[in-house]
Amino acid sequence: MTWTQYLAPLMKGAQITVMISLTSIAFGTVLAFLAGIARTSSNPIISGIAFVYVLLFRGTPLLVQLFWFYYALPLIGVSFDPITTGIMVLSLLTGAFGAEVVRGALMAVPQAQHEAARALNFSKFHTLWHISMPQAIIEMMPAFGNLAVQNLKDTALVSLISIADLTFQAQSLRNITLDSATIYTMTLAGYFIIALGLMLIIRFIEAKLRRGAAFPRSAHS
Amino acid sequence: MHNTIRCGIAALALTAAVGGAQALTLDEVKSAGYVQGATANEVPYGYMKEDGSAAGIGPDVAIAVFKKLGINEVNWTVTPFGTLIPGLKARRFALAAAEQNISPERCKQVSFTEPNSSYGEGLLVKKGNPKKLTTYADIAKDPSLKVAVVSGANNIDFLRAVGVKDNQIVIIQANADALSTVQTRADAYAATELTVSKLAEGGKDVEQVKPFTDPIVDGKPVRNYGGFAFRPEDKELRDAYNTALVEFRKTDDYKKILTSYGLSEESIKAAMAKNVADLCAGK
Repeated sequence: MTWTQYLAPLMKGAQITVMISLTSIAFGTVLAFLAGIARTSSNPIISGIAFVYVLLFRGTPLLVQLFWFYYALPLIGVSFDPITTGIMVLSLLTGAFGAEVVRGALMAVPQAQHEAARALNFSKFHTLWHISMPQAIIEMMPAFGNLAVQNLKDTALVSLISIADLTFQAQSLRNITLDSATIYTMTLAGYFIIALGLMLIIRFIEAKLRRGAAFPRSAHS
Repeated sequence: MHNTIRCGIAALALTAAVGGAQALTLDEVKSAGYVQGATANEVPYGYMKEDGSAAGIGPDVAIAVFKKLGINEVNWTVTPFGTLIPGLKARRFALAAAEQNISPERCKQVSFTEPNSSYGEGLLVKKGNPKKLTTYADIAKDPSLKVAVVSGANNIDFLRAVGVKDNQIVIIQANADALSTVQTRADAYAATELTVSKLAEGGKDVEQVKPFTDPIVDGKPVRNYGGFAFRPEDKELRDAYNTALVEFRKTDDYKKILTSYGLSEESIKAAMAKNVADLCAGK
């Protein structure tokens, strides 16, 4: 087999990689906002739950999380198919790291603005939605960009729970052709191209958000 | 917000198939029309071809046996060798068709069929065999030598049995890693005879040790007997499959599959001469 014959199976794997990455980034973002906002809540139960979730998923390795959900959870009677397991675990991990980004950005909004909002009789929700979030979300974008690329690269681990992603296809090809050098080089290139695409999307979203902001603020205003 | 999280968890739980310890029966498989099978990435015992279909001694025979049982579709999963039994126990698939050696330890975890193949051991070394290795015991004699094995494979037991120390053993994840490993991190790769011969065909800078003497464990040269593994609770399915397998072993189609992957007539005969009960009892 020559390198051109590796393309078709690798492309097939790349599609799965992109699908898993985009889906888990989407779910992970939702989780990040839920948990990040919950962390700033004054209700100790809500912030407690979010704190434990972030602690657990940031504090354990992704590979072991995957194995736990894939091989251990079924032993106590709950089983998800491989793709669901992969997306779920990656979403939870990305969400946990993202929660800290959201929390950090929200806390960076100057306290004076909260006081001003309260003086104007804004509810907590209104303060969050109309004052803090529009400013915080722009600050989150560079960190979210990092997380998205990290998420893409982390998807390689799902090959170990039998999902036929880019890495899995590379391993299968390597097994029959023994041509590790070519196949791994092509695999790296594949991930790099996907990562570039992802970075462009993030840049685009960030630019849109910045244009929407009435007063682009400097980092330490 | 709290509620939203709860709803999310509930929604996820709904999509989860909650499976207890109930057995999978032949009738259930028949009405589903397909069965989930797994193999490891190891040419020629079981592997995935570039078009995504499974091939190898295990999958080919399993497909034929299931056809006899009226099941025309096997959905194959390829999983690292060391995760075949954990995956089976986690109900990820109904059988493992990777010619795993029927050993007493594995029999405690899974329920094997009668042997489907038999194979001896082998060693892959750098071209020219610079360390002049002829058997596993040669590695034990020189503590500076390193030998690679695949995680979860039983070759490690034979190495230990002939006196190879754990600090001489390099664990790798897949067969395909053996080629670069014997060039650098290890002096040899211990695997089955057929695995080594297929690797030696594919790699330019390596060779199979010939002549090779099978390691002597408990006074006799070791031989592996590969079988299909099922979950112990799926006894009825395993028994039906086993009966069909024993029938199929008598046919020429069966021999054709095995010989096409390089298994010798003697190895096929040796496999049929053994039975699973004795192998599980360590006899």
